[in-house]
Amino acid sequence: MWYRSASFILDKQQQQQNDTVTNPESRPPSSASTAMAAENPNANISMYYQTRAAHHGVVTNDWLAQAQAAVGGHPDDSVSDNYVSGSEEENIRYSVVDEFNNWRKQPELAEAVAAIRALASVIRSSQATTMMELEIELKKASDALKSWDTTSISLTAGCDLFMRYVTRTSALEYEDFNSAKSRLLERAEKFGEISYKARRIIAMLSQDFIFDGCTILVHGFSRVVLEVLRTAAQNKKLFRVLCTEGRPDRTGLRLSNELAKLDIPVKLLIDSAVAYSMDEVDMVFVGADGVVESGGIINMMGTYQIALVAKSMNKPVYVAAESYKFARLYPLDQKDMVPALRPIDFGVPIPSKVEVETSARDYTPPQYLTLLFTDLGVLTPSVVSDELIQLYL
Amino acid sequence: MPDVHSLVNECVTKLKKRKVEGSKATAKLTAELLRSFISQQRLPHSNQAGSLIDAVKTVGEKLIAANPVELAVGNVVRRVLHIIREEDLSLTTAAVGGLSLAAESDDEDDTEHDDHPVLSASAVAAAARNALRPPSLQTLLEDIPHSVAAPHTSSSGGDSEGKSKSADKNSVTRKLKHNVIEAVNELIQDISTCHEQIAEQAVEHIHHNEVILTLGSSRTVMEFLCAAKEKKRSFRVFVAEGAPRYQGHALAKELAARGLQTTVITDSAVFAMISRVNMVIVGAHAVMANGGVIAPVGLNMVALAAQRHAVPFVVLAGVHKLCPLYPHNPEDLLNELKSPSELLDFGEFSDCLDFGSGTGSPLLHVVNPAFDYVPPNLVSLFITDTGGHNPSYMYRLIADYYSADDLVVRGKSAS
Repeated sequence: MWYRSASFILDKQQQQQNDTVTNPESRPPSSASTAMAAENPNANISMYYQTRAAHHGVVTNDWLAQAQAAVGGHPDDSVSDNYVSGSEEENIRYSVVDEFNNWRKQPELAEAVAAIRALASVIRSSQATTMMELEIELKKASDALKSWDTTSISLTAGCDLFMRYVTRTSALEYEDFNSAKSRLLERAEKFGEISYKARRIIAMLSQDFIFDGCTILVHGFSRVVLEVLRTAAQNKKLFRVLCTEGRPDRTGLRLSNELAKLDIPVKLLIDSAVAYSMDEVDMVFVGADGVVESGGIINMMGTYQIALVAKSMNKPVYVAAESYKFARLYPLDQKDMVPALRPIDFGVPIPSKVEVETSARDYTPPQYLTLLFTDLGVLTPSVVSDELIQLYL
Repeated sequence: MPDVHSLVNECVTKLKKRKVEGSKATAKLTAELLRSFISQQRLPHSNQAGSLIDAVKTVGEKLIAANPVELAVGNVVRRVLHIIREEDLSLTTAAVGGLSLAAESDDEDDTEHDDHPVLSASAVAAAARNALRPPSLQTLLEDIPHSVAAPHTSSSGGDSEGKSKSADKNSVTRKLKHNVIEAVNELIQDISTCHEQIAEQAVEHIHHNEVILTLGSSRTVMEFLCAAKEKKRSFRVFVAEGAPRYQGHALAKELAARGLQTTVITDSAVFAMISRVNMVIVGAHAVMANGGVIAPVGLNMVALAAQRHAVPFVVLAGVHKLCPLYPHNPEDLLNELKSPSELLDFGEFSDCLDFGSGTGSPLLHVVNPAFDYVPPNLVSLFITDTGGHNPSYMYRLIADYYSADDLVVRGKSAS
């Protein structure tokens, strides 16, 4: 586990120090170079996958204690100290990123919910007096959020969705600015609920597809998939789950642990044993980090491989994803995405001449997916673009 | 009331005994039954649409249970439910629109209720936009309107206004039922004329000197081919006989009588002949939400053969065959096993089928499934009354014709 290794903790410590040292310099108080200022301090490691690993990877208590000790203070303290000297606009930017990072730390909260809550905090603290001003402010904040972590698709999608909602509803039905503002805030607060409800809807929709005696292969840790399986178990369905290990952060171990708690028969596979066990599998269930316009999904590394194997053995591949993960992206191939990298621990030292593929996710094209279970209903992959076009027309 | 119940029961037994077969006949029967049921239904003054929907749902549940394989029954029930919802909505929005207008004109005299009615009217308009649409990304963040009728009652003001409204409501009562019956009549009309609608498009798809292959017999396919013939297209038709019912024989006879070049082949010869074929045109039993087709047995084989030789596989289906369900396990759930007498002559095989032989169970078994499932990737085109569609577009049509709340007619009333 890479985050347990001493080198990683050392790295992190160093980077934390660098952060506090270099950041005030790189951020001139003038508001002219605002576009440059909101750089993520460690751009070569995906924040999104780090958070996921922290939430869903196998983390033990002693490691947590170690990490706490190594890092020292709360990472947010250093950030919040910094923006006192900045101008008004920069304050907004840093507080929104700050707010987002705070929400993101909660493991039960979806990324998009965190994004929308962060944007809601912008509305709350905004001194704008017209809808246009508020929109501009929100646009700046959402741009800052998006550039803070370019690897998180649901963050981008959540920001876009909320911006779209703001521009579309404001002028028409509420003439009064304050009532419109409070309405936006209310809806943003409710979004957490919507996200939770979406998970329930998806779980209900997928029940018909899980039949007694079936074997389900799952990859990675997805809250939606867990909810689907939990509901199936509660409905007294008899089924078996094959869980991939999910290297390098071993999210599969965590999922198998959760499933075992629910008394679902579960078997762990190493990631390379998927093809070996595919003949006993009846369906593949995966979550998604993002659903793109082609109807394909971007998900944890290995999903593409599993979908290919499933296709060649004629097994259905089902994706469970909330609709706010639909993103306006159209990757043409695997490398046509913002790279999301993460460190990988091989257990032994790697010779310096050896290169390591550290990408954290891959793109599964739509022809390998059978159906998408979303809160909008059970969809074929081609529906996704339709929904997105309707929204962003 | 009692005669409606007996009507329903009669229909249920008909369906159970499989006396009505074929999706068109059952669809029509269901629609007519529901029409007479609605016309005899007595409605309460408040929430009539809700009570009507509940009543239709209970009847629909019975009908669906009578023959679960005949998906057209469920489709028609869902269509009728959708019609009721639609009519109710258009009536209430019209009523509220008129009301708010009246309130506005009143406002000039008394400024008691300021912008309340105006706001509610706009809210209702917003609700109307969303109520019947399936959930979408657009509406994800918006409030889901719980009941459209709520502002209708909350904005009641003085006495005179209330009185006029109750009178209004009475007319609404009769109007709702009237409109629903009108719309159901239209639906019945649509079902009975879907052949012609589909056949009209024949010339766009069939060209000179083409070879068309079909399997078994479908009224829609026959009309389609004849329509092309009438428009002076000359083409050949291969008819696979469609064992075990051999309906293809009847089709071939009919086509020859209409002056079409017809060749009869056995089902097993489909692969041998497919390389000469330009297009496969077949009918369907039902079209599922993912674009898969429940079709007469043998068609999956034809579809595979067509795919192997890149021959377009065209499915003709009236809109009443569109089913908003997904095939969870089509081989088991949506099939029907027919009588073995269609396969074997009992007189000849009675020895092997004898239960009295050594082990106590017969050595010879006969299975005669009625349907095949053709997955969506094997279908090139659907031709419905509204035009040609891709399999992946089916969900769109379904979203137009059915409302999301009605998808599970059975599950909802059972719980």
